[in-house]
Amino acid sequence: MNTQLKTLKILLLLTALLLTGLTLVLKLQPASVEARIAQGDPRVGGDFTLTSATGPVSLSDFKGQVVVLYIGYASCPDVCPTALAVLTQALGQLDQSQREQVQGIFISVDPERDTPEKLAQYTAFFSPRLIGVTGSKEAIDRVVKQYGAFYRRVEMGDSALGYAVDHSSRLYLIDRAGKLVDTLPHTTSPDALSLLLKQLLANQG
Amino acid sequence: MKRFSTLLTALCLSSSIAYAADVSVEQPYARATAPGQANSAAFMRLVNNGAATALVAADSSAAEVVELHTHINDNGVMRMRKIEQIELPAGKTTVLQPGGLHVMLIGLKQPLQEGAQIDLNLEYADGSQQQIDVPVKRVAPAAGMPMQMQRQSQGGE
Repeated sequence: MNTQLKTLKILLLLTALLLTGLTLVLKLQPASVEARIAQGDPRVGGDFTLTSATGPVSLSDFKGQVVVLYIGYASCPDVCPTALAVLTQALGQLDQSQREQVQGIFISVDPERDTPEKLAQYTAFFSPRLIGVTGSKEAIDRVVKQYGAFYRRVEMGDSALGYAVDHSSRLYLIDRAGKLVDTLPHTTSPDALSLLLKQLLANQG
Repeated sequence: MKRFSTLLTALCLSSSIAYAADVSVEQPYARATAPGQANSAAFMRLVNNGAATALVAADSSAAEVVELHTHINDNGVMRMRKIEQIELPAGKTTVLQPGGLHVMLIGLKQPLQEGAQIDLNLEYADGSQQQIDVPVKRVAPAAGMPMQMQRQSQGGE
C-alpha cells in the first residue's frame, strides 16, 4: 500500500513536470501562421514574385481569383504529391467556371533540383490550374517567412537521395483580394478544401 | 544422428518458409510520377500472422535504389528519414501509407505510369523474401484515412 502511494506520488510529480515543460515549450515558440491569421496580423502572407517556366509570376497577378499556395519541392516523394492530389480532387469538385477562378501555386524551396522547366512538367501532371515557381534562396526565404513556413535541407549520408528537405506542409488559401485567409494541412480531405474554395469564390470581394 | 540433422534442417527450412508466408501483403500500390520525377514510393498493408519480424530491405527492377523511409510529422513539419527496418509485430497489421512509412523508389528508370505494374522484392529479418507485383496508381488523397486507421488498430487480431 505504502509503495503504491509512493509510486502514485512520483507519477503525479512527473506529470506535473511534464506539463510545465510542455507549457514552456509552447510559450517559447513563435506564433503559428494560423494564430497570426486569427489575430489579423497584417504582416502575414502578402505579395511575392518568383520565377516560372514562362517568366516571373507574382501573387498580385491573380487578383480577383482565389489562390491555393503550397510550399514544397518536386522530388518530395510523398507529402507534396498528396497535398497536390487533394488540390486536384477539390478542383474536380468545382464546376468549370469556378475552377477557372482558382489558381494553384506550387513554390519549390529546392531550386537546386527544381528548375522552372521541371516544375512546369511537374505541376501540369496534377492540374492545368497549377503553376510551379521557384527563385533564389533569398527570394524563397522571404516568401517562406511571409507565410510562416519552414524548410531545411537535411543531408542524408545514409541514403541514395543525398539530401531531403524537411518542410512544413500547408495549403494556404488566399482570397480574391490577395489576403491569406486560411491554411489546411496536407491530410485534409478534398471535400473540406472544395467547400472552403466555394465559400471564397462566393465572396466577390 | 544424420537423420536427426536432416530433420532439423527440414524443420528450420519449413519454419523459415512459414515465416515468409505469414506476412501477407495487401493493397500494394506505387505512386504514379510526374514526368521527370526521379523518385516515387510504394505503399501497402503488411499483415503479419506469424511471429514478430521486420521488413529489412526491398528492391525493384524499376528503380536504381530502394530504401525504407518514414515521415515524422514534427508539429506540422514533415521530416523524411531513412530507416533500417520496418518492425512487423506478431499478429499485427503494419500500414505503409502516404505521410508515413513507405518503400522509397529512388532513381526510377522510367516514369511510373498509371496502370503499369512494377515488381518489388521484400526481404524480412529472417532472410526470407517475397516477390510481389505492385500496380501503379495516381495518388489517393488521405480522405477517409482516419477511419481506415481506426479499423486497422481495432483489427489487431
